[in-house]
Amino acid sequence: MQEEFKIILFLCNWGPHVAYQTLQDQRAEIPLEIQMVRIPCSGRITKALLFKPFEMGADGVILMGCTPGSCRYGTGTEAARQNTADTRKILNLTGLGENRLELATFLPDKSEALLNFITSFVARIRKMGKSPVTPRPMLQAQDITEDNSEAIVARHDVFACQDCGKCTSACPLALAGKPYSPRFVATEIIAGRANTPEVLSMVNACLTCGTCYERCPSAVNFPEFIKDMRGYYHGRELTGTPAHGGFFQSMMRAMTSEKLVPQPWQNLPESIRTGRQGPVLFYGGCAAYFDIFFGRFLKVRTRRIIEDSLRLLNFFDVEPAVLENERCCGHDLLWSGDRENFLRLARLNADAIAASRAEELITACPECAHTLGTEYAKHGVELPVKITHIHEFLEREIDKGAVAFKPMGLSMAFQDSCRQSRFNGQAALPRKLLQHLCNDESHLVKSDAASPCCGNCAWTGCDAFSKAMQVQRLEGIGQSGSQVLITACPKCQIHLQCAMDDVVRGNDLKTEMMDLTSAIAKSIYWE
Amino acid sequence: MYKQIVITGFGGQGVVLAGKIVGQAAAIVDKLESTLVQSYGPESRGGACSAQVTIADGPIYFPYIKNPDILVCMSQSGYDKQHHTLKDDGTLVIEQDLVKPVGDRDYYAVPCTRYAEEIGHKMMANIIMVGFMAGITGAISLDAARSTVEKSVPKGTEEKNLKAFERGWEHAQATLKGRRHKAAGKPGVVA
Repeated sequence: MQEEFKIILFLCNWGPHVAYQTLQDQRAEIPLEIQMVRIPCSGRITKALLFKPFEMGADGVILMGCTPGSCRYGTGTEAARQNTADTRKILNLTGLGENRLELATFLPDKSEALLNFITSFVARIRKMGKSPVTPRPMLQAQDITEDNSEAIVARHDVFACQDCGKCTSACPLALAGKPYSPRFVATEIIAGRANTPEVLSMVNACLTCGTCYERCPSAVNFPEFIKDMRGYYHGRELTGTPAHGGFFQSMMRAMTSEKLVPQPWQNLPESIRTGRQGPVLFYGGCAAYFDIFFGRFLKVRTRRIIEDSLRLLNFFDVEPAVLENERCCGHDLLWSGDRENFLRLARLNADAIAASRAEELITACPECAHTLGTEYAKHGVELPVKITHIHEFLEREIDKGAVAFKPMGLSMAFQDSCRQSRFNGQAALPRKLLQHLCNDESHLVKSDAASPCCGNCAWTGCDAFSKAMQVQRLEGIGQSGSQVLITACPKCQIHLQCAMDDVVRGNDLKTEMMDLTSAIAKSIYWE
Repeated sequence: MYKQIVITGFGGQGVVLAGKIVGQAAAIVDKLESTLVQSYGPESRGGACSAQVTIADGPIYFPYIKNPDILVCMSQSGYDKQHHTLKDDGTLVIEQDLVKPVGDRDYYAVPCTRYAEEIGHKMMANIIMVGFMAGITGAISLDAARSTVEKSVPKGTEEKNLKAFERGWEHAQATLKGRRHKAAGKPGVVA
């Protein structure tokens, strides 16, 4: 029996659609695999929309637009070209292969060329075989988890809320001017009004930064509560729309397919030494994907954090093994409520990590460190390795002595990562490392308390208030006279860079940003 | 194999105990011969004091040391008195914060007093030094040194002393690692 292939054709309403219609009028043999979706302009199909069909099981995707110069809106074809190029790169990294996605442009009278293109594309996809992604069926009513809001409230003892409002007065979102109150969310859900649109949007907007938990006199763990509530909404398909069109959630869901073989370690500089097996395993995280996705606008280079971490490991004579087909840790799926797929990823990762026979796993991403170190165990997935964040490793090695630091000679401000400081209780660790980089105290903008959130978490709930918060933070950094902002998480860099690029503010908010790991890599040397 | 080690320092720094540990480790665990000559007298009231340890794989006929192979200095006065006696191809080991060496002879340094204070007991500087010296020179094996430290220190302080020993040993490993990297022309991460 011949396998059934599914190929999605995003077809621009204008030029190519005329050609396509001619084919239909002529009853030309358009391959049956083609599922046509008519769109207003190829430039409107974002990277998220280009990737979404793959998550849902498509074997190939064609984006069809007007020939350059004939776009009705001027820039459509160019936008389509850029989006396709970026998505193809990401398809390569995820292991789907760039050849499953193609952009084609046609003039209205080129129906024959269009048919030839489609036929050869179908042949190519048939040759490549079925997509390794297994689509997950949509949730059915009977699949809805037993979890209900009363049980969640009881589990986190939200009843202990004294209605004092300390949480709201500390919440960075409320401080940015958003009509937002953790206390209100707590009391509404206790009162059984979890499904109102108001509460729903508040649960989705929460940054899960943990500041409220820090302040709560009754120690109600609000982030954990929110995490469970998002799972509750997800089970009922009430979740809000994720940021960036849900691209990252889509990608992570695609990665839950066992047959998919991601290739995240492409283009690693040759000077970096990694091994196939060994006692130390390095877990990279999603930085490589971020750089492609955000590269065009934000010019972020978060992959450098991974590279510098590997260089530092090499510096201390550690040649770590890497998981050839490393997948995402699942942090963002978990925190956007998709527990089911989080667990799928967690199990695949646990198997791969166990098969590596490593004793220690080192990662440079605070979210990976927290998720692998805490959340996996909480969800019943045991890992046979010790989880170490690169900062802990550096502290351990630097403590042994014989290394020194070239002082940066710049005054620095530090942006904490929520997962490292408030969740893992390690706010002191990066500060200790920062001390090495300062030749005198005055160079470090002093603060023992963890800094406020960078404005977003798990690609959910980004809005004007998140932006306002980031702008406030950057203004504060500017006023403190800092010349460089040291970060500890790739996402902080992405979010703060986005705020810095605000066109209205011009160069007002621009500050140099550098990850702590990179800063150490730059300045450390053997004494 | 015939190794002569001189350890110098202030009275009270534990110089003699350090010497005793080195000698015992060599003799009892590593199954070599060893002798210890300790200076006593006014030194133990705070002056420069020293321990002379000889380790050999055959009989030792004369325990005194004129020109050591390894000189360990835990105080400036000890260094001033002894440094010219060290053999030309000998190894100089110093306490980094207390001794400022003169001339351009190569040396290995460990801030053992500072490390000891970090561990919480200043008096464990000598154990850190034993760990460091063992790591750098290989005069006694790691297992021998560790088990001898465990047996030689007062009851109840074994754990802390072992931690101190590890600290010195690891500093030695880091120092040697750094020298290897520098010799390979890679003193930093990027360069």
